[in-house]
Amino acid sequence: MQETAVSKTTPLYEAQAKAGAVFAPADGWELPSHFGDTIEEYRAARQGAALVDRSAYGRLRVTGADGLDLLNRLSTNKLIGLTAGEGASTVLTTNKGRIIDLLPVVNLGGELLVVTNPQAAEKVVDWIDLYTFGEDIQVTDITEETALLHVVGPEAAALLGASALSLYHACEVSLGDAQAQAVRADALGATGYDLLVARGQAEEVWNALVHLGAVPMGEDAAEMLRVEQGAPRYGRELSEEFNPLEAGLLPSISFDKGCYIGQEVVVRLNTYNKVQKRLVGIAVKDGSPLPEQRLEVDEKDAGFLTSVVYSPALERALALGYVRTRHASSGQEVCIRSGDGLLQGVIVDLPVEPRA
Amino acid sequence: MPLTISISEKAAKKAREFAQKDAVEDFGLRVGVKGGGCSGLTYTLSIDPESRPDDKVIEENGIKLYVDKKSYVFLAGTILEYDDGLNGKGFEFHNPNAKTTCGCGTSFSV
Repeated sequence: MQETAVSKTTPLYEAQAKAGAVFAPADGWELPSHFGDTIEEYRAARQGAALVDRSAYGRLRVTGADGLDLLNRLSTNKLIGLTAGEGASTVLTTNKGRIIDLLPVVNLGGELLVVTNPQAAEKVVDWIDLYTFGEDIQVTDITEETALLHVVGPEAAALLGASALSLYHACEVSLGDAQAQAVRADALGATGYDLLVARGQAEEVWNALVHLGAVPMGEDAAEMLRVEQGAPRYGRELSEEFNPLEAGLLPSISFDKGCYIGQEVVVRLNTYNKVQKRLVGIAVKDGSPLPEQRLEVDEKDAGFLTSVVYSPALERALALGYVRTRHASSGQEVCIRSGDGLLQGVIVDLPVEPRA
Repeated sequence: MPLTISISEKAAKKAREFAQKDAVEDFGLRVGVKGGGCSGLTYTLSIDPESRPDDKVIEENGIKLYVDKKSYVFLAGTILEYDDGLNGKGFEFHNPNAKTTCGCGTSFSV
């Protein structure tokens, strides 16, 4: 008998079902696609505050005196010197400079919080373990015992009753009778805050945020926002097929921190302008292509698409894709091979700003 | 290929000199690897007054080498030498497990 893969549910499944969520499998989880009106959810994120369940993302608690030092040696950004309440995003890279995962690392004082992409937690734990020799470091997967909510939009900080934080900085917030660890993490490319809460308090925090005016948002609207903002997603724009420079992860790379795994390759690519392809946004003039379709310039292969959404800001399809560096500039016309036909597209600057 | 770690006479002599400078009499040379460096793993070398319970202890040329179990997996067959002189590189690991090394030669992958 063939086994059917069963999607996992998050601690917020019941609360979201009550709020009218329509669920679909994504990344091995049963996640809300929408709550009835995708465009309204998108507008809330653009103009007010929207609430997304990010519990599918892995959470690791890292303790021990050598945690920051080891992670600093294994990834692209400078983590040494992060004090309590500070954080940074960093990329775990192979020795060939390819992306294993893009990780926010936050010093919570006495322990580090590391957020992995969905389904990547085990891979990240194994990678850290492989390179742990005598170091004082303990890595605990706390995904099951916690939930991760995300409030995104210009009103996000005010809604949390917090002053605006710098990227990856953290503070504690009270919501209802519950406490949450808030981390400024623009996961969808727009101003947003991750909220780490104990599993048992997830629903209370979710309800409190909805009561304060946050609009529940599903994956469909979140994807629209993410693609318009040009934020790469694991499994689509981020994988061992790509390096951090191709994926536009410059803010997560330090060029003066010293050695880390993959550093020689990353620095050489950057210094000698050897980056072969770049992640770009492509506005589609007519129709809506599927992800992974090939791109052509002057009838020659020029790259491929990775994500496609309907963009409310452009009122047409918008894609992310990797394009050969020499073509990767705004205004470049591209052809998208779609079945037997060709669609026309043009490279646009990201993020795409909503029309006033 | 011998599945052990060996140390040349010159490297052993040099290690003793360093220990004497630090006024350490009973010691071992801790040999290991740690994560990091461009290629993934870098060598570590230090004077250690005593071995740890899980160490593999190897004695050659009058010096004890302390190697933790996990490092040993990556170092089995390594010969530790010392290259002196103006262009010398100091202690050198000749590791048959290293498939690639980085440009500066301080890190390797297996």
